[in-house]
Amino acid sequence: MRQDKMKYFSWFVAILMVAALLSGCAKSSNEPLEESPTTTSSDSAEGSEGKLDTSKKVELVWYLLGDANKDQKEVMAELNKMLEKDLNTTVKLNFTTWTDWQTKYNLLLASGEKIDMIFASTWSDYYKFANQGAFLPLGDLLPTYAPETWKNVPKQDWDEATVKGNILAVPATYPEYTPDGLVYREDWRNELGLPEIKDLDSIEAYLDGVKKAKNVTPINGKAYNEVFTLFKAYNDYQQIGGDSGVIAASSYDNPRDIIAYPFTPEFEAWVKRMKTWADKGFWNSDTLSSQVEAGDAIKVGTGAVYWRNAPGAGGYIVDMEKNNPEIKLGYFPFTRFHNYVMPNLSVNNAMAIPKNAANPERSLMVLDKLRNDPKYYDLLSYGIEGKHYSIAEDGKYIVTPPANLKDTKNFVPYGIASWGFRLESMERVKQASGWSGFDALLQEFKSESKPNIFAPVLLDYAPVKSQQAAVNAVIQQYGLPLMMGLVPDVDKAIETYRKQLEAAGVNDVLAYVKEQAYAYYDEKGMK
Amino acid sequence: MKIKTEKATIVFNVIGYTIITILTLLCLLPFLLIVSGSVTPEKEIIAEGFKFIPNQFSLDAYTAAFSNTGQIVSAYRVTIFLTLGGTALGLFLTSMAGYVLSRNDFKYRNSLAFFIYFTTLFSGGLIPWYILIVNQLNMKDSYMALLLPPLLSAWNIILMKNFMKSIPDAITESAKIDGAADFTIYWKLILPLSTPGLATIGLFMALGYWNDWFLANLFVTTESKYPLQFLLYKILASAAVLNTNVAGNLSPDFRPPAETLKMAVAVIATGPIILLYPFVQRFFVKGLTIGAVKG
Repeated sequence: MRQDKMKYFSWFVAILMVAALLSGCAKSSNEPLEESPTTTSSDSAEGSEGKLDTSKKVELVWYLLGDANKDQKEVMAELNKMLEKDLNTTVKLNFTTWTDWQTKYNLLLASGEKIDMIFASTWSDYYKFANQGAFLPLGDLLPTYAPETWKNVPKQDWDEATVKGNILAVPATYPEYTPDGLVYREDWRNELGLPEIKDLDSIEAYLDGVKKAKNVTPINGKAYNEVFTLFKAYNDYQQIGGDSGVIAASSYDNPRDIIAYPFTPEFEAWVKRMKTWADKGFWNSDTLSSQVEAGDAIKVGTGAVYWRNAPGAGGYIVDMEKNNPEIKLGYFPFTRFHNYVMPNLSVNNAMAIPKNAANPERSLMVLDKLRNDPKYYDLLSYGIEGKHYSIAEDGKYIVTPPANLKDTKNFVPYGIASWGFRLESMERVKQASGWSGFDALLQEFKSESKPNIFAPVLLDYAPVKSQQAAVNAVIQQYGLPLMMGLVPDVDKAIETYRKQLEAAGVNDVLAYVKEQAYAYYDEKGMK
Repeated sequence: MKIKTEKATIVFNVIGYTIITILTLLCLLPFLLIVSGSVTPEKEIIAEGFKFIPNQFSLDAYTAAFSNTGQIVSAYRVTIFLTLGGTALGLFLTSMAGYVLSRNDFKYRNSLAFFIYFTTLFSGGLIPWYILIVNQLNMKDSYMALLLPPLLSAWNIILMKNFMKSIPDAITESAKIDGAADFTIYWKLILPLSTPGLATIGLFMALGYWNDWFLANLFVTTESKYPLQFLLYKILASAAVLNTNVAGNLSPDFRPPAETLKMAVAVIATGPIILLYPFVQRFFVKGLTIGAVKG
């Protein structure tokens, strides 16, 4: 008897708990949705009266992707002093840090936490979140609450931030070119009388010359980036919507010709050539498992070539000039294979407002201030004048450490993840760390710039998730060694690779990418 | 009287000791490499890789690590406070729950045990859990978010309950006859008799608190509230991200922490707990044997 009763009781409890669980879920997922329209409507009514009301003191919560600086507290105190006076607002600036940041970023947006502004970017899935409705539409708010920004940002940039007809982020106004390329030891090239690097043959000649004369492994470390980006650039294969694995458009001029490149004769020719490169010892046989940066090897004289994008190369070269002045470096951007370059999308770095923001209007006002008032911009981007930097004689650029600082040995430079609200016109630091060769390169890029038509294609691979995972596994297992020429028999390896890709469902993934890309091209009216 | 050792035993011992020695060395060598790596000059590591005995001796990495002493010290404080406080409180709550469930005269003990057990079968998932803690409980950026989630686990409670079940009922009864109330029985008799169980669960909990970085990663935004493991992981993660393609989108001025710095931070973070471990472990092993003998 008692046993029975207890059994019923425990079942009852169990059912109760399931019910509680379900209702709890429903509530929490509905709540944010219901909330957001009411806040926006009431606050925009406030705005339509014409005068911006800042009588209520507000504390905003902002999130940036990255690490805080050591002196962040001090800088924020200074900033909040100014903000309180001007806008009756303070900002609590939080940082995600780089630890498991994707999970954290996902949670911040998915949980409906009250955040007034957050860094957004294509590389942190801006388009995905935008499509899911994670961000607040800003179209109606911008002209009222961020008038300067609304005027200053080019229309093209707004267009790139537009998803389903709504502007969902304020992009940084900082045109960037980050094409791939190779840093190499120019002094060795001169010394050995090797040809100037301008195409694939001269690269091969250089690697060969260095290998023989200097007896060093030219790419001494992880070499996959070097080889893979070279492959893409040489054949003008353009990946679609970020990293699309083996799927690519066959060239810029043929965006609709989307292929799986391992099935092309170009790929066959390429991996055969790479096999000879690997056999000649241009990189080590453990390159795929190596954790060594090829760039570190150059520093100590045991390497010669390193993959970098253009601004990254600048940073690397400037650093080398400072610490190892005896080493002279050159840079070859892969854009010279086909003589064009695509700029990064404006939303490569942007600031967006999550839909649950408590004070989106005030947040935009602060952003407007930040982007357009040098006092704010300099403080948050470069720190405190006299402590972190001083203005150079030309009145435009900054000097670090500051000119009057005595104790330069313990100087810690200030810098935060300010990419989301950068403006080219406000910057006081030269791009690429002030590398002297960068200006010419930038001129070159600007003169051959073409619109970026591949990055904005939105791919979440939801319908072909398992195929995509299988294909990626095949790439890891068969594609990487093949690309690096680390297989005994190339022909056989290509055959296996293709077979495995097909078995993994590469054609389904290809069909999916095609469908999405065509939809985007049609929407933009491209042929 | 001396018992004669057989030849087979000697051979067995020799083989056993050799294998154990090799295994011990295998476990020890990585630690040694970390320590020696942390005192090797950066350039030597890049040029020649890690070595057990560096050509040159350099304390640069430690100087760099301790340039921000305040943060390491405060991280230590947070972690120690959490580990001690969390373990003590957690043990107290777990053992109380276990005790109640182990008492035969508690009528609904099985239902309650099922109720507790039931929660281990399902999980709301990461996002609802996050929403609960941040939006409902308002524990974002609070020490509570670090202390509460690992405090009680259903598994530990059941472990404790089963352990206390092995204590004879007669002890409880005799104490009752002597006029002890329930809490006195728990505090004065059951707890001392449960030392082995407490030691086991306590060690699990303490290690859990000491090693936790995930909670801090999700919930803590103020730097002074970072626990040690998170601080360490943060340094490593920053270096890792800056070596990937993402870095291409970032300011090139950022420089990843050097190899040696990573090693130095690892030594700073693990050193103390390694030194502490033998002492705790002795107690822990003793506790286990007591339990085994008593059956």
